[in-house]
Amino acid sequence: MKGQVAMVIAVALACLFLGCMAQESGESKVGEVQKPVKIYGSGASFPAPQIENWIYEFSKANPNILIEYASKGSGAGINDFKQNLVHFACTDPPAKESEWREFQKLGNPIQFPFIVGAVVVVYNLPVEDLKLDGATIARIFMGEIEYWDDEAIRSLNPGANLPHEKIIVIHRSDSSGTTEIFTNYLSIVSEEFKKKVGAGKLVEWPVDKLGRGFGGKGNEGVSAMLKQTPYSIAYVELAYAIHEKLRTASIRNADGYFVRANAETIASAMAASSSFVPDPREGYREDPKMFLNAKGKDSYPIVAFSHVLLWESYPTKEEAEAIKKFWKWVLTEGEKHLVEGYVAVPDEIAKLSLKAVENIRGD
Amino acid sequence: MDKFKIFLIPFISVVFGILVLMLAVFAINSIPIFQREGLAIYTENVWIASETPEEERYGILAAIYGTLYTSLIAVLIVLPISIGFSIFVVDFVPERLKEAFIIPTDIMAGMPTILFGIWGIFLLAPFLSGIADFLYNTCSFIPLFSYYNPTGFSYLTAGVLLAIMVLPFASSLIREAYRAIPVVYREAAYSLGLTRFEVAKILLGYIKPAILAATLLAFGRAVGETVAVSLVIGNAFNINPSLFAPGYTISSLIANQFGNAFVYEYMPSALFSAGLALFAIGLVVNIVGLLVLRRWTYA
Repeated sequence: MKGQVAMVIAVALACLFLGCMAQESGESKVGEVQKPVKIYGSGASFPAPQIENWIYEFSKANPNILIEYASKGSGAGINDFKQNLVHFACTDPPAKESEWREFQKLGNPIQFPFIVGAVVVVYNLPVEDLKLDGATIARIFMGEIEYWDDEAIRSLNPGANLPHEKIIVIHRSDSSGTTEIFTNYLSIVSEEFKKKVGAGKLVEWPVDKLGRGFGGKGNEGVSAMLKQTPYSIAYVELAYAIHEKLRTASIRNADGYFVRANAETIASAMAASSSFVPDPREGYREDPKMFLNAKGKDSYPIVAFSHVLLWESYPTKEEAEAIKKFWKWVLTEGEKHLVEGYVAVPDEIAKLSLKAVENIRGD
Repeated sequence: MDKFKIFLIPFISVVFGILVLMLAVFAINSIPIFQREGLAIYTENVWIASETPEEERYGILAAIYGTLYTSLIAVLIVLPISIGFSIFVVDFVPERLKEAFIIPTDIMAGMPTILFGIWGIFLLAPFLSGIADFLYNTCSFIPLFSYYNPTGFSYLTAGVLLAIMVLPFASSLIREAYRAIPVVYREAAYSLGLTRFEVAKILLGYIKPAILAATLLAFGRAVGETVAVSLVIGNAFNINPSLFAPGYTISSLIANQFGNAFVYEYMPSALFSAGLALFAIGLVVNIVGLLVLRRWTYA
């Protein structure tokens, strides 16, 4: 018996070994000139599917550059970047001035937006096209509207068959950029929300105290809860809602039109707002709220940038060149490989960022 | 000193050194929150994260409560099941079939916990949510059933999931101890004309220390379980007597919040102090266990 087991293990090991040999010889044919450069990134989970796709497409053309992205949250990304554990970090809201000052103790940071996304309100209710406005969403998430057939919701959805059931509110339990964007929006459209809850990556939801609010960890936790809980409502990133086939609500924008999030309505929101983006070398001066509640007939109201943090100089020339190549590729070719639910940044911003990326050098 | 003894010193010091170092890291990193809040970090239930440090306020009482509550549920479920299972396997199953009963539990012990977590989300939570609904509608006057929670993510779900996860460990300890009781005792008991139930009752008396050890092991594992629990506990800062309320455990709190904790000034420190609380709970459980064991040995 023991002998047989040993045989099986030996055969398995031999296969593995031969497999590695075969792979090595295969690789050496492709990349004979240089050995591969490894680039590490970490941070926000929101752009992760898009970055993974970019890395996949990019490495087809550049087998010598290996890029790894660990999606663990904006805050963790900033921390990794500060400790020099990664070459680049992604963060949904732009890095704050205090963080920027800490980076400057280590070198010259640059930051620019590289992708646009939207936060959508999703619901589990047998109603096809639920229409909501900012004030109503704020009141639902504060727990002030208790039933689905409340006057406030009914007046926005005449004719819809709204049940007399309690609204179950689901929110993120971990601190997240999505929550920050969503609460920023609600603070703009509702003075009461701003006073009672405020905006941030992690806020105290008053609806929890009423026994109707529940927290899910990550986009996946929230959507799993939503799917299993009839009469619930939640917020997630658009790309996630598409992937999970969740029902999304139309939201009334600043001009009074009901709009669903998609590539056109996100682009419209960006075109309509005063998109002041600072020089990448002064990235902290960006206003994360600039696209929220944008004017325009077709503008979706909850739209925001996701950002990347890079250094102006890297310890080795190879690393600097690899990083330059990848981010130049993202800013120029990237929009040809977009995953559904994401929108590329406007051209002028991409040009500004491209200039900053060009200046990256290795010591 | 004996040369062999000297040779062994490094190994001993590594074992203790790791423990001491870990404790030191947790203690040092907890200092800022203790300086700021004192013991209130363990006695309050607040979690206000703010990017202005003056407004931050943390208290992990809800997580401590949830940790003890869910682990207690797990132990209460696991003990009768693993004792019953052990008696069945040892006393009733024919020798040739024993392995067939034991192997599945051993496989369960080695399964990655995330599998239990996902199974918990998609199967256990909806199933228990149905039961919870019924109990809430019929007997909500009993505090245990007094929380309306349609999501199914609750102390109960976490506790049941934990019970399933620690079952293999507890049952193998009890089973092996029960199996190791010398045959003469068994034969003596039967020769007095006792029924199988009575024999089992007497024999269980012999393995009390093993049952206690199994309880401690189960409790200890339940306290520390992270991934699976954070998926089904509901992640809410609640202190509620009801089984159906959503809550937090210390491990799930750390898993939930650590990723972005460094955005805030004091949150990392608060989470380290939560880790320290886990250490303390483990220590207390073990000391109580040792004391009880000693009483039995001298009795």
